[in-house]
Amino acid sequence: MTGISHEGILKAGRYRGVSVGGGEAETARALLSFMVRLRACEEALAREYHPADEMRCPVHFCIGQEAVPAALSASLRDDDYLFCHHRSHGYYLAKNAPIEALFAELYGKASGANGGLAGSQDISYPSRNFYSGAILAGAAAISLGAGLGCKLKGGAQVAVAGFGESATDEGILWETVNYAAVAKLPVIFVCENNNYSVFSPQLKRQALDNISARVASFGVRSTALFGNDAMEVQRTLSREISRARAGEGPAFIEAYTYRWSGHYGPESDDLVGYRNAAEVEAWKQNCPISLLEEAMRASGTRAAEERKAFEREAASEIARCFELAKSSPFPKAPDWRTLNSSPASPMADKLLAEVELASFDAQQESQQAKGY
Amino acid sequence: MPRTAQTGIERPATRTTPSVEHVEASYAEALNEGLRQAMELSEAVLVLGQLVDYGPGVFGSTTGLVERFGPERVRDFPVSESAMTAAGIGAAIAGFRPVLVHHRLDFMLYSMDAIVNWMALWRFKSNGQSSLPIVIRAIVGRGWGQGPQHSKSLHAWFAHVPGIRVAMPATAFDAKGMLLEAIFGENPVIMVEHRSLFALKDRVPKAPYRVRFGRAAVRRAGRDLTIAAIGVMVPFALRAAGRLSALGVEAEVVDLRSVSPLDAETVIASVEKTRRLCVMDPAWQSFGVSAEIVARVVERANQVLRAAPVRISYPDSHTPMSSALELAYYPQEDSVVERLRSLAAEG
Repeated sequence: MTGISHEGILKAGRYRGVSVGGGEAETARALLSFMVRLRACEEALAREYHPADEMRCPVHFCIGQEAVPAALSASLRDDDYLFCHHRSHGYYLAKNAPIEALFAELYGKASGANGGLAGSQDISYPSRNFYSGAILAGAAAISLGAGLGCKLKGGAQVAVAGFGESATDEGILWETVNYAAVAKLPVIFVCENNNYSVFSPQLKRQALDNISARVASFGVRSTALFGNDAMEVQRTLSREISRARAGEGPAFIEAYTYRWSGHYGPESDDLVGYRNAAEVEAWKQNCPISLLEEAMRASGTRAAEERKAFEREAASEIARCFELAKSSPFPKAPDWRTLNSSPASPMADKLLAEVELASFDAQQESQQAKGY
Repeated sequence: MPRTAQTGIERPATRTTPSVEHVEASYAEALNEGLRQAMELSEAVLVLGQLVDYGPGVFGSTTGLVERFGPERVRDFPVSESAMTAAGIGAAIAGFRPVLVHHRLDFMLYSMDAIVNWMALWRFKSNGQSSLPIVIRAIVGRGWGQGPQHSKSLHAWFAHVPGIRVAMPATAFDAKGMLLEAIFGENPVIMVEHRSLFALKDRVPKAPYRVRFGRAAVRRAGRDLTIAAIGVMVPFALRAAGRLSALGVEAEVVDLRSVSPLDAETVIASVEKTRRLCVMDPAWQSFGVSAEIVARVVERANQVLRAAPVRISYPDSHTPMSSALELAYYPQEDSVVERLRSLAAEG
């Protein structure tokens, strides 16, 4: 799709383009299930966030932006790498990391994904090759090295970077795109263009709304699309990931989407006046879940019943997660030194000889005759 | 006892047959040999940096590697230091052991976000589940008008940040051993190499060996004062100690080898013997490593000091270009010998 823009999406009104083709029913069902679960998770966390005040860390909710993580969950293998931004929960679940550990992490508990050290915006799950971080574009740049690793290993693994359009304000993002192109790395960049860097719209920060075109000029396959059409995002991602697996190098996907909640926390920040109620309402009319549900219904699926069933499943799972998170113990004070630096060096132990300086020097003609 | 022509330092009279097979090699050759052996020992080792695959090979330290290991493992990188460091992090996550090379430390400052916000805290924020074996080699220039953007040694900045190890090898022996220790360890290491050391020769074991971090070396024994020296200040300290010896002052020279972790124990043990301390740090004085060393000694052994500690370092100023001003900027042997001679006489 060319010429897509936030303004154009608003003008067009309700999106009518979602389609579930023959042979896509299972994919559609998986996407719906994922998005319903993610939405339920975010809504439940948002409800609980302030009243109890037990999640004492910044949380950036992704309500309204479920389609990209859903499409990733349907396209990635277990051994693929995924690096993402601070709005992390959808990506975390896309790599199939355990939801209980996400909740416990937000509560700062020992059973959290990172033992309560990282919280929502820095969460990772290394055994699932999932990592996040709050400094814009930093994680996207790291995907470059993982992609290099994938290429050198010679398998079909890929690395995916998920970030917002604000990350394209950063210089390192363009260094990253450039190197991925010149080294033909299997890196997939997924830019969720939700138009706002906190309050500041893209066109206040950049002269043109043409990120995907700029990326294309680096020699990277680049696609811009309506990011709330989960089916189309999934098709595009799957295609590009397959091409990267086949050695065709990196790809960039710019998915236009919108966050319903404020930048941070569960409350609306619309009182700041950076966006108007009509805009928010228009995007709610383009809810990725409802759009997919409607398309599934049109293709003959009992989508409403399916959605209800997924919602019931998610509700009981989430209740269990809250219970576990709240009842888990807080972490004990760690050994700060070994937490920050590994005391073990098994590779060095295996490969390197011990040559004590004192004994080596004693065997030398003179310690002081070392060229000084 | 015979004395060496260069230093006037006494040589031990006896010779023993070395059981460790060694070669005579320069600092640059030792680095090159360390990289070559590391890449032979493990296919996970990669070298990334500008021009690492050309003949000059970063002052000889990477020469010949691309011919032997190919351009996939020895990678010339665009002038994108930030992305290069991030790529190193990602490669380490994917199981590789990248060595990044900067001709001058000043250029790596573009990558401070990758270093401080990502690399340093990666292990921490993963709760110890994910470590980053990355080595960043950063070369510091001096002399011939290097000026303020080719001569900064910011080891104190890096040492301030938890999760980064900072090595400052002063000999060819340490250059190879610490490089190998860094490559096959599990932590991010910034190795600050001073360009003036690259031609210095040392006896270097042939086999791949390790020099552990946080273990200082007593390079010269003495009873009258302790010189704790860092990096390029180690040969300077040894020369000064040689001249002091001729004046009847025996200085003990401790080479710290790494500033993070910092082996304060060896310095303290020496000060307990000599009761006088001089720290030589090739960097600006304020808020630097010399202050940290003095603080650690004073915290533990204040009562043994017979005189206030002396810091030999650079003025709190950027580096001038003019050779006349370089002489005024960098510590000079004559005045340092004089200063230490009076330190030995104090108390």
